[in-house]
Amino acid sequence: MADDGQPRRSFVESHRTLVVGCGSVALFFAAWQALFLIVPFNPLFISKPSLIAEGLWALIAGGDLAHDLAVSAVPFAYGFAAAVAAGVPIGIIMGWRARVGYALDPLLTVFYASPLVALAPLVIVFFGVGVAGKAIIIFLLAVFPFIFNAHAGVRTVDPLLINVVRSLGGSEKDLYLKVIVPSVLPYIVAGARIAVGRALIGVLVGEFFAASEGIGYAIARFGDLFALDKMFACILVIMAIAVALTEGVRWAERAAFPWRIGQ
Amino acid sequence: MSDTRVLDAEIAAAPGDVQLAPGQTLWRRTEPALLGVGSIAALLIAWEALPHLVAMSAGTQLFFTTPSRIAVTLWGLFASGAIWTPLGVSASGFALGLALAVLVGLPLGVLVGRSPTLNAMLDPFITAFNATPRLVFLPLIMLWFGLGLWSKVVIVFIGALFPILINTYEGVRNADRVLVNVVRSFGASEWDIARLVVVPNALPFIVAGLRLAIGRAVLGVVVAEFFGSEAGLGVMMVQAAGRYQVDTVFAGLIVFAALSLAMTALVWLLEDRLSGWRPQRPSNN
Repeated sequence: MADDGQPRRSFVESHRTLVVGCGSVALFFAAWQALFLIVPFNPLFISKPSLIAEGLWALIAGGDLAHDLAVSAVPFAYGFAAAVAAGVPIGIIMGWRARVGYALDPLLTVFYASPLVALAPLVIVFFGVGVAGKAIIIFLLAVFPFIFNAHAGVRTVDPLLINVVRSLGGSEKDLYLKVIVPSVLPYIVAGARIAVGRALIGVLVGEFFAASEGIGYAIARFGDLFALDKMFACILVIMAIAVALTEGVRWAERAAFPWRIGQ
Repeated sequence: MSDTRVLDAEIAAAPGDVQLAPGQTLWRRTEPALLGVGSIAALLIAWEALPHLVAMSAGTQLFFTTPSRIAVTLWGLFASGAIWTPLGVSASGFALGLALAVLVGLPLGVLVGRSPTLNAMLDPFITAFNATPRLVFLPLIMLWFGLGLWSKVVIVFIGALFPILINTYEGVRNADRVLVNVVRSFGASEWDIARLVVVPNALPFIVAGLRLAIGRAVLGVVVAEFFGSEAGLGVMMVQAAGRYQVDTVFAGLIVFAALSLAMTALVWLLEDRLSGWRPQRPSNN
């Protein structure tokens, strides 16, 4: 970067937030580790970072972690893809055809307000303990952010652009492809950020309920076995995945739609 | 050719674009409500009529229920009083967890919003915990707090804490700098600034966070009772699902939804009372 005449600032000064943040995380793990120099360590109820790191390494080296993650990823992918495929068109049509919006909005609000996780036992009874049951739970949880955000996005489309396309003889299809979809996209990506979190809840609920493999099942089983180091390792892995997914979507949002920053 | 196209497009215009004829006004005003209620009613009727129209095998009938049967079951639960004990257990876990989340989340949100250092220190933790589904901690929390009330309270607490904390933080950051400077010029302490400027200003954000938190808290109660509890509405629902009493599962779902809607309505009332002084809200005179 060119020197812009300002006094040069050190790395620490210019990245203060980052440095303090990393420092506090490091401090947290150090304090956790150091705590057991004072307090007696009971491996049945708590673990410490050194043991967790060992457990994590054992899971990675043994291939268990990769296997569990791969198993969990399948229903996640199906459920999430179905949520996008169903939610976005429904939301767009609801926003574009006002009568459809009037008809569906209260119904969907009622569904959204009720804790749909409560239907998980029924879904498992209906669809079994396999991929289908879990994918449906994930779909049920993840579809609403897409519907509501696509709906809200269509309602903000600039009417001037619509009139221009119409005046120039554009068809209904042109309206959808050239005006509506591009202006709705940022809203859909914002919805995806919320949906990712809800879909992860779906993965865990499905696997806590009925599974014989998968990352959620691994956490529950290690808990039952009092293998706390491995359980903490799996929890940290899920936390890392959740942060990576949400921050990844946020990053994609910033990269693709820079004009929306701060909205 | 292009003329007719434009005409077609005009006819297909969204209803909002069309000029109202005088006689249509009543219909236009009631149409949204009628369509909304109508679609819910249509769904219920179709659901109710389904077993009369389609022949079902005995196996499917075991899994199937109708709105009327759900209503009867729900009425029976209330009439016999069987619902009060589980409802009480669930409600106390919900209330305690939510109250704790407000007690911790509000002050912490104000502090983090006012102090950049604290913000930089806590931000990684807040981001990580907010992105993670709280459910991953459930086995750990059950190990630490057992199957009773407290593991439920903790799950509700960590679910409800982050919406309140983050919204309070956003609201505090949004405070008018001029007002803060004025109050400070008159010798106010940091506590006075929080009390007089920052918190009242953040109120709409906090209320929005509270609404989110209620949804998360209900979810927390359901989940905690599904996987690690001995009593409560969620336990009732899981047991009913295991016995193929599908009506009871839906009845429980309705009670949970009603609980969440009632709490949300309560927050709206609270918001109206607390923000009555706001000049920009014409609904409050």
